[in-house]
Amino acid sequence: MPEWPRRIREEMRQHLDDEYDAMRARGVPHDEAMRRLARDVDELASMRTRPADAVATDTRYALRALRKSPGFTIVVMLTLALGIGATTAIFTVVDAVMLRPYPYADMNRIVGLAEVTRKGQTMSIAWPNFQDWREQNQVFEHLAIYRGMVVNLTGSDRPERLIASLASSDLFKALGMPAIVGRTFAADEDKPGAPRVAVVSERFWRSHLNADPAAIGSSLTLNGEPHTIVGVMPAGMRFPSRLTDVWLPLGLFVPAFPAERGAHPGLFGVAKLKPGVSVERASADMDAIARRLEQQYPMSNTDHTVAVQAYYEQIVQNVRPALLTLACAVAFVLLIACANLANLMLARADGRQREIAIREALGASRWRIFQQLLTESILMALGGGVLGALLARWAVAAFVATRPTTVPRIDLIAVDARVLAFAIVVSIVTGIAFGLAPALRASSLDLLASLKDAAHGSAGTGRRMRSALVVGEVAMAIVLLVGAGLTIRSFAALTALDLGFDPSRVVTMRVSVPTARYPEVARWIAFHRDILGRAGAIPGVDAVGLNSATPLEGGGSESEVRYEGQPPPRSASEEATTCLFQATTPDYFRAMGIAIVRGRTFTDRDDAAGAPVAIVEDALARKFFPDADPIGKRIAFEFTGGHGPAARPIWREIVGVVRHVRHYGLVREPDNLEVYAPLEQLPIWFRERRPNMTLFVRTPLAPEQLAASIRQAVSSVDPQIPIFSVLTMEEYVGQATEQPRLNMTLLAVFGGLALVLASVGIYGVLSYIVGRRTQEIGIRLALGATRGDVMRLVVGHGMRLAIAGILIGLAAAWAVTRSLTSLLYGISPHDPATFAAIAAMLAAVALAASYVPGRRATRVDPMLALRAE
Amino acid sequence: MQHIASRILDRELKKGSAELLILSLVEDRPRHGYDLSKLIESRSGGVLTFRVASLYPLLYRLEKRGWIQGRWIEKAGQRRRRYYRLTAAGAQVLASQRNTWKEFVEAINRIAGVEHA
Repeated sequence: MPEWPRRIREEMRQHLDDEYDAMRARGVPHDEAMRRLARDVDELASMRTRPADAVATDTRYALRALRKSPGFTIVVMLTLALGIGATTAIFTVVDAVMLRPYPYADMNRIVGLAEVTRKGQTMSIAWPNFQDWREQNQVFEHLAIYRGMVVNLTGSDRPERLIASLASSDLFKALGMPAIVGRTFAADEDKPGAPRVAVVSERFWRSHLNADPAAIGSSLTLNGEPHTIVGVMPAGMRFPSRLTDVWLPLGLFVPAFPAERGAHPGLFGVAKLKPGVSVERASADMDAIARRLEQQYPMSNTDHTVAVQAYYEQIVQNVRPALLTLACAVAFVLLIACANLANLMLARADGRQREIAIREALGASRWRIFQQLLTESILMALGGGVLGALLARWAVAAFVATRPTTVPRIDLIAVDARVLAFAIVVSIVTGIAFGLAPALRASSLDLLASLKDAAHGSAGTGRRMRSALVVGEVAMAIVLLVGAGLTIRSFAALTALDLGFDPSRVVTMRVSVPTARYPEVARWIAFHRDILGRAGAIPGVDAVGLNSATPLEGGGSESEVRYEGQPPPRSASEEATTCLFQATTPDYFRAMGIAIVRGRTFTDRDDAAGAPVAIVEDALARKFFPDADPIGKRIAFEFTGGHGPAARPIWREIVGVVRHVRHYGLVREPDNLEVYAPLEQLPIWFRERRPNMTLFVRTPLAPEQLAASIRQAVSSVDPQIPIFSVLTMEEYVGQATEQPRLNMTLLAVFGGLALVLASVGIYGVLSYIVGRRTQEIGIRLALGATRGDVMRLVVGHGMRLAIAGILIGLAAAWAVTRSLTSLLYGISPHDPATFAAIAAMLAAVALAASYVPGRRATRVDPMLALRAE
Repeated sequence: MQHIASRILDRELKKGSAELLILSLVEDRPRHGYDLSKLIESRSGGVLTFRVASLYPLLYRLEKRGWIQGRWIEKAGQRRRRYYRLTAAGAQVLASQRNTWKEFVEAINRIAGVEHA
């Protein structure tokens, strides 16, 4: 017997299909038609064809099948593109932020350290405490300390401000990261009086030193002092931040750190655990040291212990809840899409029962048919995956372009080979997920029954499966929408918060005036007054002020605050009232639109010669003087002679009371009360460590235009002083609301997608059922049912599915939304109004989606429907 | 016996004429297999029919000889079908077969005397 090419089979199959159709068209019943074809079928089945690559054949056949129904294919691929695109985009972010390896050696042994009260308030490390930790700990291979600092780079035409990190020489060992050129600094360079050296970032090396290896040994003028460059760190070095330009030995600055244990000068620790030591054991060891210090130094160390946290945790802890939520949300969207597609495929498989039956009659095994159908869905999924990857690329680019500041490693976020591999895997898994049920069902059909009955929709199991899918879809949509609804309401609550100032038309910029250049306090103050005067003279400037802290930026210098006549603390552990103290110029309040509720602002007479004065926030006034007028009362937040009973307060008279201003971001509100002192009466804490002052300008001018004028003005006073961080207050508000806004937007988009998909799902199933039950509906109408009855029948069916889904979804949402708590502000994760509104919304959408097929059902002509039999 | 003999003749005749029939039917325009089988059936008044299992292998052989050429054609909303058209070589074969057949029929007629008028 000869071997025939495989295509012959196809031609013959076509022939038999045509023959069958022709017989049916002539009114030959199905069974008879199959009987007449039986011999041809037998002959065909016994023909030997050349073996061919099953995958290639399936693929060709599938492509053909898909081309034949372009509408169906496009709907499926678009649905998939949305689902896979969204999933891929979120994966891109999760991958860059959380999954991709960090360049430090033994990342899982790197920990960050801070001091923390037993109540959980984190603070920086007191220098003497750190020295004790270093000597007494048994758990660290390397223990390093670092502090951020801004330094001025001079020596070129325009002064620049660099982000520096003061670091002990152990830092590079703790991170396990050597220099790519030159070396890091050695222990003997990390002590007071050592020759000044600097290690620069790869970025700085490229931008300022032409990536020249010969730059090693050359000199940089930082804060007016020459520093010898000894090394270049690789681009992967992002510690403490990816913006760090230069690392300087911390030892040189040690004399400037307060020797008191009560002072916390912005130092934080980083360490490498000894092999085999867990974070828990390190914590326990450090806690034991902290308890010894507590006994030795009760005034400063009572209730203080050490926070040891895996460095990886430190990086991701702020974004993890949001990323996990979004990953879950996007997985839900994909699942809903799959459910929808499974439904479509089921309907399609029903429509192809005859085709499948004939193929099977021709000898195709069920496994081959199953493979064939699965090939179709996987092909569509891959098509959707390609579109989805394009969509993801576009979405990720748009996301990165917004430069979110709250997302770590944002510059690493890009659609790359890893992401594409993920998209492909997701596509295939998706294809299987939505193709499996229909393929299984179609390939296990009872042949004869289905052939006999193709026109009647006996497919009870199919209908049940379809209904279950729709219920599941609606339930998942409810969970997503409740999540989205909660974040929307939370965001509304956030943006409705009273900031305490008016952010519109306020431009800010930072001025860095190093102590080394203006060692005398009076000259330092005079310089600031000078630029304030010049900025005020710029046309278009309505008001200008300087302040040592920037609202919403995360606070500033803090100290204990007392009022005159306050009873002394009963015990060392009694919590003192703390304040955020600021050095301010008179017009700051006007420039920022901060309301003065009582008294006055500062004036030019509140200078070094005048009586010490302060302005306080209303909460402080209420707390200290609940029944009296605070104006004229005296408070102190500066002390001479150390801490404790020996401390002598410097009293300031309250001259004004202002509204509370949010300094620590929108949500975080520590107990600190806000106190302002005139710049001219600089708080003593600022005399040693001068703050970088920020200029606040109320103006209708564009920020860049204003910055140029101010730079010019400052440069005419001192060309060595850089102006940087030009930002409007609205940008600060934008940054503070960035993450919640992002969460809300993405969840709302995913929720919207889920809603659309679920309504399409309901619509699709009902349309299908109406199509299948045309005869039944016709009979009902013929027997006297009204159109209203029919409408109720169809819509009732849709609504039963929807309500089942809504109830399941509400229960699931109730269980799930608790995990959203950390993302929500001012709203309970079980907010009944949100739950009710979402349920009502989905019910309404379901009603609309049921109405259309319902109307179609009412238009059934009973006579036509009956005759079709 | 006679019945069987006539069936054999029938088969041999069909075999001999099948190529000619197909080549003539695709002469004026390309046709697909189902079309060909229906045309043969209807134009012969039901006398000539092809089984699926012999028609398509025949088409395959003709194509392999280069007499006809098949091409898959997709039409919206339909199955794709393989349409066969006559090649130049096929046209020559057709002409010569027609001739042979004509001579053959004439010869048979002359001998068997079934000529009509």
